[in-house]
Amino acid sequence: MDKEDKTRILILDDEPIVCKRLKPAFEKAGYEVETFTDSTRALERTREQDFDVVITDLKMEKIDGMQFLTEVKNQSPSTEVIVITGFATMETAKESLQKGVFDFVAKPFKIHEIVDVVRRAEAKRRAGS
Amino acid sequence: MKALGARIRQVLNRWTRRRSPLPLPQVLEYFRSILARNNEILELMAEMGDKLSGEYVFDSQYIRSSCEKLIDLCFHMIHDLNTLGHQKYMDLYDCLERNKATIKEILAGRPALQEIPYTILYEHCNRDWREEVGGKNANLTEVRNVLELPTPDGFAITIRAYHELLDAAGINDLIARLDETGPREGKDLEQALRDVQEKILNLHIPDAIASEIQHRIETVARRTGGGEEIFFAVRSSAPGEDTEHSFAGLHRSFLNVGEGKLVQAYRKVLASTFSPEAWRYRRDKGFRSHERAMAVGCQVMVDAVVSGVLYTLDPVEPRSEMITVAATWGFGPPVVEGSRRVDRFQVSRDPPHPLLQMHVVHKQEALVMKPGGGMQWVEVPEPEQTKACLNSSQLSLLASTGLLLERYFKRPQDVEWAFDTSGRLVILQARPLRVKPFTDTDTCRLADLAADTPVVWSGRGDVVQRGIAAGRVFVVEGDEDLQRVPPGAILVARESSPRLAQVIRQVQGIITDVGSPMGHMATVAREFRVPTVVNTRTATRDLRTGDEITLDANENVIYRGRIQDLCYYELAQGEVFEESYEYRLLQRLLRHITPLNLVDPQSPQFSPQGCRTLHDITRFVHERAVAELANINLAGPHLAGSKPKRLQASIPLDLRVIDAEGGTQADPHERTLQLQDIVSVPMRAFLSGLVGSNLWERTPVGMDFGAFMSSMSRTFDTHRASLQEVGLNLAVVSSNYMNVNLRIGYHFNIIDAYVTDRIDDNYIYFRFLGGVTDSTRRARRARFIAEMLARWGFRVEIHGDLVVGRMKKRARATMEEKLRLVGALVAYTRQLDVQLVSDQEVIRHLDRFTRLLESPSEGPEDSRPKGGSHG
Repeated sequence: MDKEDKTRILILDDEPIVCKRLKPAFEKAGYEVETFTDSTRALERTREQDFDVVITDLKMEKIDGMQFLTEVKNQSPSTEVIVITGFATMETAKESLQKGVFDFVAKPFKIHEIVDVVRRAEAKRRAGS
Repeated sequence: MKALGARIRQVLNRWTRRRSPLPLPQVLEYFRSILARNNEILELMAEMGDKLSGEYVFDSQYIRSSCEKLIDLCFHMIHDLNTLGHQKYMDLYDCLERNKATIKEILAGRPALQEIPYTILYEHCNRDWREEVGGKNANLTEVRNVLELPTPDGFAITIRAYHELLDAAGINDLIARLDETGPREGKDLEQALRDVQEKILNLHIPDAIASEIQHRIETVARRTGGGEEIFFAVRSSAPGEDTEHSFAGLHRSFLNVGEGKLVQAYRKVLASTFSPEAWRYRRDKGFRSHERAMAVGCQVMVDAVVSGVLYTLDPVEPRSEMITVAATWGFGPPVVEGSRRVDRFQVSRDPPHPLLQMHVVHKQEALVMKPGGGMQWVEVPEPEQTKACLNSSQLSLLASTGLLLERYFKRPQDVEWAFDTSGRLVILQARPLRVKPFTDTDTCRLADLAADTPVVWSGRGDVVQRGIAAGRVFVVEGDEDLQRVPPGAILVARESSPRLAQVIRQVQGIITDVGSPMGHMATVAREFRVPTVVNTRTATRDLRTGDEITLDANENVIYRGRIQDLCYYELAQGEVFEESYEYRLLQRLLRHITPLNLVDPQSPQFSPQGCRTLHDITRFVHERAVAELANINLAGPHLAGSKPKRLQASIPLDLRVIDAEGGTQADPHERTLQLQDIVSVPMRAFLSGLVGSNLWERTPVGMDFGAFMSSMSRTFDTHRASLQEVGLNLAVVSSNYMNVNLRIGYHFNIIDAYVTDRIDDNYIYFRFLGGVTDSTRRARRARFIAEMLARWGFRVEIHGDLVVGRMKKRARATMEEKLRLVGALVAYTRQLDVQLVSDQEVIRHLDRFTRLLESPSEGPEDSRPKGGSHG
């Protein structure tokens, strides 16, 4: 598999543990992964480069997840956004579906659950292109 | 804290004085809400425990909110119990406040210092103590107590001693100021640190700490010194050291320290926390100021003939499949410090670990112990100077031990070791070895490799322990095969028998056709962290002895062929999940939340003061809520019919029944009820199974000796205590509802059901927890119950020995039938765990129970376990 063919994923969560756990799982599944714990820097990165899939938390310091995903969708409408969020913010997560979010996953989740969601997002992209 | 409890008590006391007896519907409402919260707490605790398995991604927000929720639920339970029990249990508020304060401290990252001892003997220590005794002590005691490898005897001086000493001398304040406003670099910083070190070297050690250290020295001396003075290695062991941060060489250690000089050596090790190098290292690694602490290991000196260091992987070329060993005569510092030339060996990672390369140097001098304390250089006898200091069998033993440590700690290892005068290999230190991380290209290639490798199967069975193994299959068919398991094999067996546990240290992985993630073997596999998948159904059919496979128990895939890179990828990851801050945080919290200390309601400890954990509080409240209700004396003639009445049945079950509304048709003045008086739809159905199936009498209750011993003290008490105190079994019924609380033997059963002609309202909730005998047997009974419930169409959750079964929205006739079955199940399993001496017994009892249900004529003579006596 060439690097160029790989699906590019950006993961943003202000808790490092989430990034640390997800990165190797997605890499082994053949994805190219960049992780961020700082939403401002993640946003800067999405301005430099479009990602196929963005996985983001909702509740964060600085720019919050909703604002972040809105900007990502504006810049690159074809990017599929997946929201990962704690139980407390589930209502907000449901609202985010109206902003064109592909799906949301409640934390804590099993690794294969989120990998499955990403696979579905990929399938949707392929069907759309 | 105390103040809040007192205030609540005051307010409630005022209220109590004015109270009038609660009307029955309200009493029942409080009771039901206690039960509902009790369930919620138990399930939440079980879910939190599940998060430690590694299957879930969770964050600290989850941990915080779960703790808040638990505390909130406990608070409301306590409140409701006090309402039911006329404010008799106000002390529970204080107990909850104490728990809450501890949890808050832990969440804030501050260890609850007052609960830590100043010192701890190595045999009582393990990695759960890593915050208190530091990484080096924690790793070494894990090697000693779990892997049972030879290590030096000794004890740890904890960070509590550090904090109290430095606090008392005002040094902690000094350091805090230095942290915040002190010089960042240069001579001023170094001078400030020298002042701190000076103060530590002159510290007065208070009697409480000094006498405890002295006591430990004496304990260790008694068993090793044989009356003579013993000498210690006094080693630094900082929290975080030897885990993801090596601190290599930054702190000081002292060898061959006499008993009388140990305390001064201790001060010197503490002072080394503030060397300029250690200070900068912590600052650069982002350590927070409250994380700075030092524990110390005091280890009896090993009489080393040859010592050295072992790397289980080549840090630069991890794929070279080599173990590197550096060694010299005498003690190891020259190897670690690189101050002299030493012998180097490279051996294969594959058993039997043949020697691949050897570089023997001229070793003129060796570092040895000086009589009376300290170390000295002596000349090595001529013939030894040019001889290799290790032979091939020693190298092979080192290699296999190194790999055992690597498999267990899940990271490549950097091991310090020595062979002593008796030829024994002693492990002195084990820490993770940083190896070159995978590049993008490597990862890319790995993904391709995995994609191109044939998959035997994927996602089949239950993962018991995560991890990766690549090697050759060895199929175990009979016990005699266990003697022939080659080291490093991946074991394949039909059943997850406890017998496999005896070879668990030497295998890389385990796959079975059938088996339970909660059985004994699974427990041992987790203990030794051997990647294990059970219940794959076809392992012995699809895999043959000698097949090369890769078991990826992280993703639950089995590949045909070796993907060595998958192992290296795993080994090269920065942090083991079990080492992450969140994992450790959750684990620490659960230690204060889930242990159940209140098991025996007859014991004097069964009191609010005896509640140490949130689980204890929950248990106490539940027990007392049932007791309050069972003994309730409702005032007023119009309520006479609602008085608890004893059910008269053919089985020895002391069950009180409270009729909330239309559940019975007995004379209001009667104190007992007959079976035919019950008109409650669900209760009738349940009792028809519990009593009418005749399974109670035919329950196998024969105890084998082991079970007998483990339950003896309690059964004795049960016989002695009056029935009223022990068997608090209570049912609340109405025409279409029942809530049954059973404590038969020492397990708890709740069945809550609502059955009408309106399908949508119908439900059954079944919960089972605990029991007498050891946890493996309890888990077997839990499995038995779970299996039956699942066969009957219940949605079943199982965590340890907690089983929850739910069924909803089925027709009335179906619900009645299920309740009958549940009744029969309760009768049959009331003492079953004492019978479940093996996993086979579970299967046998499943068959027998099913048969008895179908043909109720089978007699009790079949009830003895097969296979003779056990004990």
